[in-house]
Amino acid sequence: MFLSDNFQNLIKLSPSLRSDVLDMVYQSGGGHIGGSLSSLDLIIAVYFSGLFNLKQDRFILSAGHLCPALYVVLAKAGYFDKKLLSTYSSFGSVLQGHASAAVPGINYSSGSLGQGLSFAAGLALGNSQSSVICLTSDGEHQEGQVWEAAMFANKYHLGNLINLVDSNHYQIDGSIDDIMPLNDLAAKYVQFGWTVTTVDGHDFGQIINALKKAKNSKYPNCIIANTILGKGVSFMQYDYHYHDIKNLDERLYLRAKKELENQ
Amino acid sequence: MNNEQSNLSSIRQAFGDTLYNLASINPNIYVVNADLKGSLFLDKFAAKYPRRFIECGVAENNAAGVAAGLSKTGKTVFLTSFACFSPSINWAVIKQSICYNNANVKIVGSHAGLLSTDLGATHQMLEDVALMRSLPNMEVFAPLDALETEKIVSVLAYTPTPAYLRLVRPPTPLLFDRNLNFTIGKSHVLQKGDYATILGYGPVLLELFKLTDLSLEIVNCSSIKPLDEKTILKSVSKTGRLLVLEDHQKNGGLGEAVASLILSSGIKTKFAHLAVNNSFGQSAKDAQPLYDYYGLGLKNIINTLRNLL
Repeated sequence: MFLSDNFQNLIKLSPSLRSDVLDMVYQSGGGHIGGSLSSLDLIIAVYFSGLFNLKQDRFILSAGHLCPALYVVLAKAGYFDKKLLSTYSSFGSVLQGHASAAVPGINYSSGSLGQGLSFAAGLALGNSQSSVICLTSDGEHQEGQVWEAAMFANKYHLGNLINLVDSNHYQIDGSIDDIMPLNDLAAKYVQFGWTVTTVDGHDFGQIINALKKAKNSKYPNCIIANTILGKGVSFMQYDYHYHDIKNLDERLYLRAKKELENQ
Repeated sequence: MNNEQSNLSSIRQAFGDTLYNLASINPNIYVVNADLKGSLFLDKFAAKYPRRFIECGVAENNAAGVAAGLSKTGKTVFLTSFACFSPSINWAVIKQSICYNNANVKIVGSHAGLLSTDLGATHQMLEDVALMRSLPNMEVFAPLDALETEKIVSVLAYTPTPAYLRLVRPPTPLLFDRNLNFTIGKSHVLQKGDYATILGYGPVLLELFKLTDLSLEIVNCSSIKPLDEKTILKSVSKTGRLLVLEDHQKNGGLGEAVASLILSSGIKTKFAHLAVNNSFGQSAKDAQPLYDYYGLGLKNIINTLRNLL
C-alpha cells in the first residue's frame, strides 16, 4: 500500500487501473464496465490513500456489480495475482460476476442491491474502533432498505460508518431521472441525520479530504461523489448501454485502450 | 416423557428466558429485534443487556443485514420478529447477507402457523419452512414444546452458522422433561408403534397422543433441516405407512422433503400428507376450528390413517 499525502501517485494509478478493468471485461467476454469505471477512483482512494488500515477497517461493496473495479484494486494491492483478472465471471473462478467474500480481501458477498449499508452498519456497531466504508450506487438508493439503514445509523450514532455513493446518474435501463428520480439525495441524508459532503468523484483531492473529515466524525457520513458513467472512455461516457456489456468489439476495445493509455 | 400434559407452557417465553440465561454466561450473544420485544419475551434481556439488544424498528430487511454485519464482529446474533415478517419480508436479505455470507445469525420467527389464531391470514405464517429449507447454509428447527425450545436455543447459541427457529404463539402442553437431549439432525421417536409412522414438528403433534386405539409410531422432526434420514427410514421400513402432519403449507413443507427422501431410498410405503393445501389461513378464537377446517384435526387424521390400508 502506498501512502500519499500528495495524491499524485493516485492520479497516475487511475488510468492504468482503468485499463485493467477494460482488459478484464474484454478478455472475459463482458461485464459491468460503466459503473466500474465511474466508481474506480473512489475505491482507489479508499485502498491507496493511506487513510485506512484495511487490516482493521472494513470496505464493503454494496453495489456488487461494481466488482471489476474492486478486483483490479485488490490485485494491485497484492491480495491476489493479477493473472486472475481475466477469469472474471468464468466457471470455476473465484472472481464471480458479483463480489464474493471468497475473494481474498473482500468482506461481503453482494449483488442484490440495497443490502450492503445494513451489513456495514452492523459491522460499525459491533466494532466502534474501526471505520467501515460502504460503497453504494446512486441507483441503489431506490431500494427501501437503504433508507432503513440510514435511519438505523442515525439512531445508533454510527460515526465510524461512511457511505460513499458512486453517483453516476445512470442505471441499467437509463438515467436515474427517467427511471425513478432521487431528487436531492444530499438533502435526504441530511434529513436522516447524516453529515453529507458532495464531491467530484474523479478529483482525488476532494475525495480524500471528504474521507478524512468523515473518518473523524460523531455522525454517520455520506459522501456523494458525482462521477461519470464509463469514465475515461469517450464512447462509453454517459451512455447507459455500457452499464453491462457482452463481447466488446475488438476495434472498440483497442480504441478504448488507446484513449486510456493517453491519459 | 412427562405424562402431565395439562401443564401448559409458552414456547415463546422459553425462548426469551433461555436467551436471557445464556446471555449471562456468553457475552457475545446479541439480539437484533424488529419491534416485537414483548412478544418474544425479551424485556428482561433488553433491560439487563441494553448494549446487546439492538432495536431496528419495523424494518426487517435492515434488521437482517445489521444482524449479518454484527455477527461478523464475533457476535452470535438472534434476529427476532414474527415469522410472517422475518423470514418473510426479508427473505432476499437472509439469502444474500446471512446465508451466502455464512453469518452467525439465528432467525427466530414467532407466531408461525395457524396457532396465531385470531390474528388471521396475514399473521399465520404457513410458508416459513419452505422459504428457509430452500436456502443453502440454512438449518431449520421447530420445537415441539417449551422444554425442547430451551434445548434447541442452547445448542444454536454455540453453533456458529445460520439457522431458523420456528416458534408458535399460544402456551402449549409440555411433553418433554429436563433429560431431553437435542442434537442437530436427530429426531426423537416419541411413541413406538407398528401400524403407521407419523412425522411432524411443533405442537400440532401433541393431539396425536389421544389416538390410543391405533399403534402409532410418532416421530418428532424438530430438526427439519438437516433431517434425521436414518430414524425416518427405519420407522417407515417397519410400518409401511407414513403420515406427515404439519401446520404449514403442503408446498415446500416437511412432507415434500420426506417424500423425496422415501422415493430416493426405494422403500415402499403408503404416504399421506396433511398440511394446509394451497390456501390462506383465517381468524378463529382458538386453534381447534382451524385445525379441523384445514384437515389437521383428529377426525381427519383418523380417516386418513384408516385409508392408508
